[in-house]
Amino acid sequence: MCESAGASDRRTGAHLVAAVLMEEMRRDEGIVVFGEDVGALGGVFGATRRLQREFGDTRVFDTPISETAFVGMAIGAAQAGLRPIVEIMFVDFIGVCFDQVLNQMAKNHYMSGGRVRVPLVMRTAVGSIGSAAQHSQVLSATFAHIPGIKVLFPATPGDLRGLLVAAIRSDDPVVFLEHKWLLKSRLVELPFNDADSPDSPVEPAAVGKVRRIRDGSDVTIIASGWMVQQAVVAARELETADISAGIVDIRSLVPLDREGLASEALRAPCALIVDEDFAGFGTTGEVMASIAERIPGEVRMARHALDVSQPAALVLEEQVVPSARSIALQAKRLLRA
Amino acid sequence: MLTPRQLYETVLRMRLLEEGVGVAVQTGEIHGEMHLGIGQEMVSAVMGQYLQPRDALVSTHRPHLHALVKGVDPVQMLAELLERDGLNHGKGGHMHLFDPVASFMCTGIVGSGAPIAAGYALHRKLVAQGGLTVAVVGEGAMNQGAVFETMNLAAVLSLPMVFLCENNDYGISVPRRLSTAGQLVERGAGFGINGWECDGVDQRALDEAFSAAFADTRKHSRPTLIVAHVYRFRGHYEGDTDHYRPAEEKETAFRDRDPLLVARRDLVGAGWSDERIVALDGEIGREVSDWFEAARSLPFPDPSEARRGTFVDV
Ligand SMILES: Cc1ncc(C[n+]2csc(CCOP(=O)(O)OP(=O)(O)O)c2C)c(N)n1
Repeated sequence: MCESAGASDRRTGAHLVAAVLMEEMRRDEGIVVFGEDVGALGGVFGATRRLQREFGDTRVFDTPISETAFVGMAIGAAQAGLRPIVEIMFVDFIGVCFDQVLNQMAKNHYMSGGRVRVPLVMRTAVGSIGSAAQHSQVLSATFAHIPGIKVLFPATPGDLRGLLVAAIRSDDPVVFLEHKWLLKSRLVELPFNDADSPDSPVEPAAVGKVRRIRDGSDVTIIASGWMVQQAVVAARELETADISAGIVDIRSLVPLDREGLASEALRAPCALIVDEDFAGFGTTGEVMASIAERIPGEVRMARHALDVSQPAALVLEEQVVPSARSIALQAKRLLRA
Repeated sequence: MLTPRQLYETVLRMRLLEEGVGVAVQTGEIHGEMHLGIGQEMVSAVMGQYLQPRDALVSTHRPHLHALVKGVDPVQMLAELLERDGLNHGKGGHMHLFDPVASFMCTGIVGSGAPIAAGYALHRKLVAQGGLTVAVVGEGAMNQGAVFETMNLAAVLSLPMVFLCENNDYGISVPRRLSTAGQLVERGAGFGINGWECDGVDQRALDEAFSAAFADTRKHSRPTLIVAHVYRFRGHYEGDTDHYRPAEEKETAFRDRDPLLVARRDLVGAGWSDERIVALDGEIGREVSDWFEAARSLPFPDPSEARRGTFVDV
């Protein structure tokens, strides 16, 4: 399907997701898509637009606001042979159905001695766009902490497509974290846009490999999701202060490319690990440990993440959610230390 | 029953509050998601008469009207909505208002307020006898397991709580017929909970339901259920294009099911002249704009506040 150049300028991340789902559903008749408002509305971010019109309401349908029931249904359907793509509108809502995630989805393959597979994708929107502590979380580490769930977190348009295809074709359960800004932003306005032309075929991206987004010799910024986009802006700002900042995109929390993290970190004397998710027992610590275990003492590291819920008021939110400005500031602080 | 004047005043205050909040979203003064209760005012207005200070109320993502009738200070609430140092120091915002003095709270997670309401009801049963708790839910929330579980729990423990379901027929874009099996009011019956179903823009019907349910819950310390049928006049959230609801459906509702128009008609029916109504409009308008002015005169929260308060001692 070819769109004109003018129209393609209006594309957002949500358009990319919808296009991938459309293509994959054509390829594989076992794929079903369900969740709240994914049908006629096409998703609150538009990431399932036109799917119901194309495939009908038996393959694409709205659910009641009953997350335990429909996430459990996705697990059962996957075990029985379908390939469900289920949406949790905002990741924060996972709380109401967490047993299905923790004790069913993550465990059934292992507990069955490998006899049962759970090939489902749980797509969910993450991150801060205002709206406080129950609508701003990322929770990447919450999923990553549980053995048995793959956790992918695209930072760029290219990965939004490639990692989604990989997730859909995976035979394991995958939690696919879609940052709200990535879904909402026009691709052409992103700090880092690696979008292919709209009609290029989607290829699965390699899962479990970090990716260098930018070369730099003074400090390596290691991040995931929207923080990668923010780091790109920060790196430009640092450049004006004669600081050369490299950027490494984690992309896949599970499986985590520990070797890749260590070898990338070796390229500069310092590494700043940035996370929009909570700090404690999370990705920042996991990345630091992976590097420290492999190249002890080689790189000076600091983390930029907090153990604080997201407040409502903008003046407070800015204190808690890392941004390009705060990343640049923390990088400078690390270099001075 | 509220007099025509009382009803009109209360509904108008609510309407002007919500409209003012909507404007603040448009101008960017409020940067998060916003759900307004325009079209649903009469339910809260009538409930207000039956609420006592010793009662508790746990509301939803659409909480402002419930907060007002539960006695939350409008200026403090507005300051919080306007991202000032308000009711919760700017940390909660529109969907997470907490007022322990008024025994009010709300949550942005659909259905999750009901179990918490049961906790307030347990407290009323054990130590503050005579008080009850209202758990507000939308009809969409009625499909959450948490709500079913709480109904059962409240029934077996004889908790003094009223489940108030504001049925506006849509959960975001999904119409009730696609999401909800059976009759809502009968869900209570399955647990032996007495239920009342009523038109949420009919003052008399609402009055009958609230007086009967509140009396039953207070007298017998047991749960009851009210299902009130309303129409949501705005999109699900401010900025929602709302293409999913047919234009005629909206037009009909705006014409026939507007609580403010209904209340105004009653006022006219009670002999109020146009001039008197205009004068009253002015009076209430000034009252509400004073709230906004007072809220806007409050400072923004101190940035250092952001990192405080994760724990009592931190
Ligand atoms: C557990 C959970 N799932 C989904 C959402 C997203 N969401 C917010 S409001 C809403 C619709 C709620 O419908 P209803 O309960 O009827 O209340 P209304 O908005 O109509 O007042 C949804 C799906 C949420 N906040 N929490």
